[in-house]
Amino acid sequence: MTAHPQPKRGRSWGRIALYVALVLAAFYSFWPIMIMALEGYSIDLSPLFSGKGVTYVAGVPHYSGGIHPTPIHYLDAIHFNAFPKLVGNTLAISGISIGIALLVGTTVAYALARVNIRGKGIVMYTLLALRAVSPFIVVVPLYIIYTQNGLWDTYFGAALAEELLILSVVIWTLRGFFSDIPREIYDAAAVFGATEWQVFRRVALRMVVPGIVVTALFAFVLIWNEFIIADILTGPTAKTVAVGVWTGLGESTQAFKVINFDDLNAGGFLAWIPAIIVVLAIRKYLAKGFSLGTASSS
Amino acid sequence: MTNSPRKSDSLTTWYLLLVPLIAVLAVVEFYPLVKGIILSFTGANGAFSLANYGSMLGQSAFYNAIVVSMLYSLGSTSMCIIIGLALTFLVTQKVRGRGVFEAVFVFPLAISPIVAGTLWSPSSVWDDIFTFSHYILHQPYPNELSPLFYYPVILLSEAWEWAPLFMLVGLSIINSQSKQIFEAAELHGANAWRRFTMIVAPTILRSPVMQFVVVLRMIDSLRAFEIPLAWANWIGYQNQVGSPIDTLSLYLYKLLFVPLYGFPIGLVSAIGVALLVVTLFIAFGMIKLLGKLIPV
Repeated sequence: MTAHPQPKRGRSWGRIALYVALVLAAFYSFWPIMIMALEGYSIDLSPLFSGKGVTYVAGVPHYSGGIHPTPIHYLDAIHFNAFPKLVGNTLAISGISIGIALLVGTTVAYALARVNIRGKGIVMYTLLALRAVSPFIVVVPLYIIYTQNGLWDTYFGAALAEELLILSVVIWTLRGFFSDIPREIYDAAAVFGATEWQVFRRVALRMVVPGIVVTALFAFVLIWNEFIIADILTGPTAKTVAVGVWTGLGESTQAFKVINFDDLNAGGFLAWIPAIIVVLAIRKYLAKGFSLGTASSS
Repeated sequence: MTNSPRKSDSLTTWYLLLVPLIAVLAVVEFYPLVKGIILSFTGANGAFSLANYGSMLGQSAFYNAIVVSMLYSLGSTSMCIIIGLALTFLVTQKVRGRGVFEAVFVFPLAISPIVAGTLWSPSSVWDDIFTFSHYILHQPYPNELSPLFYYPVILLSEAWEWAPLFMLVGLSIINSQSKQIFEAAELHGANAWRRFTMIVAPTILRSPVMQFVVVLRMIDSLRAFEIPLAWANWIGYQNQVGSPIDTLSLYLYKLLFVPLYGFPIGLVSAIGVALLVVTLFIAFGMIKLLGKLIPV
């Protein structure tokens, strides 16, 4: 917020409490992620406190394997467990999916932001209602349809299904970006005799390019982390990162499975890195994305 | 948004623009929905009957899943709001390194929900905390298999992941407000805590944007799946339906993929249709709320 001169406030107890709270909140935010990264290296902190190995509590083994630092789980993930392939799959699926969403959605988003016409409310609210439908309701019949038509476990099939997740988000968010363009600019273009299409092509689309990039990156993070759709509609060939980290990077197709905890943690940490880079890059616009374009970008 | 563009060349174009959108939705949304509704009546064998709805209503696990999902949604969303407001309070103070803290607080947002279910599992975070409390503070180990332990922890995992979102929305609301009211409060000598509880927090909570985000989050967590799925592994509820962590989504998943239940596609579709009806009611409520936000 604004900077007023603040003489002598820096030493008070309130300031100290504030910094302690900030540090604690930071710990709370990154501690579990740090534990994940360490356990991927087979480092478990609890022996530091107990001096002992595995303990059983109510029959549940506490994974207290001790501190045996090894990069093996990360190397496994990268070399043998096809992590790069999972990344490739996810990039392909999200690329196709976001491409379709932008192709189909950009002009509609512009129209929703600009055109006063009957049926606009119906379109917006239908998209919103579809956003509220649990993917489970749709994905199970879709699984049957896909297996009958050879779309199961293909990039295109998975990308199409991910539209369930991103299409309404993309259209609503882009609508928000189009609405943010000052009205005077549209009016000026109209004064110079531009048609609606020219206003869109020459003026609005150019101004909204950063918004499109942000929206695409936001949709990418959603797909990168998405589990249900990808888990049910992909198999060994088109598996995405989030699914691969959980089901093991191999061939396991069981609903539940025995989990190699260190592998899971190594994979989970590797999967987090690209996502956090993108998230921090578009941090100013996250509120806009998650509120479907209704919040202003901070 | 009250400007009225010329309608001359846009009317036909406008309806043409919708064609590709409807085509995509028809393939991935409408067709599967219709197929699901048909399956809920016919099941796998093809004869029309209401038997699936009958057996749905006869399952105690179904009612259990409804209760669990609602508790999950209400519990995790309220935790999200509280933690989100706390984080907002911290990052709106005048401190050095505010941007860094804000970035760190955003970390959990980038975690895949399925991994969030792993992060907060007994063997990740909790064994260290328990070992610490046991050996250093001499406390007994808590029973991890008790719902009183794991249910709040699952809610916390969900809230941990999504609370930063509420912080970001809160910040965006504050930044879009006029600064004068905050400065006036400061000049009148209100301390940071009073400024936050009397002005900043009410401003955030009263904003329609925040209310919209809260409703979205409630809907999303109503269908929560990944974190309960991960926890089903940690506490041994992989196969059994009707457990205290069986949200509707996890319940459907178990019915479909645990071989014991024999792929009851008709029953699953019936539950799906019931869910759809409930969802559309909720969506209708959300739309009424939204009417205040975006005049269409």
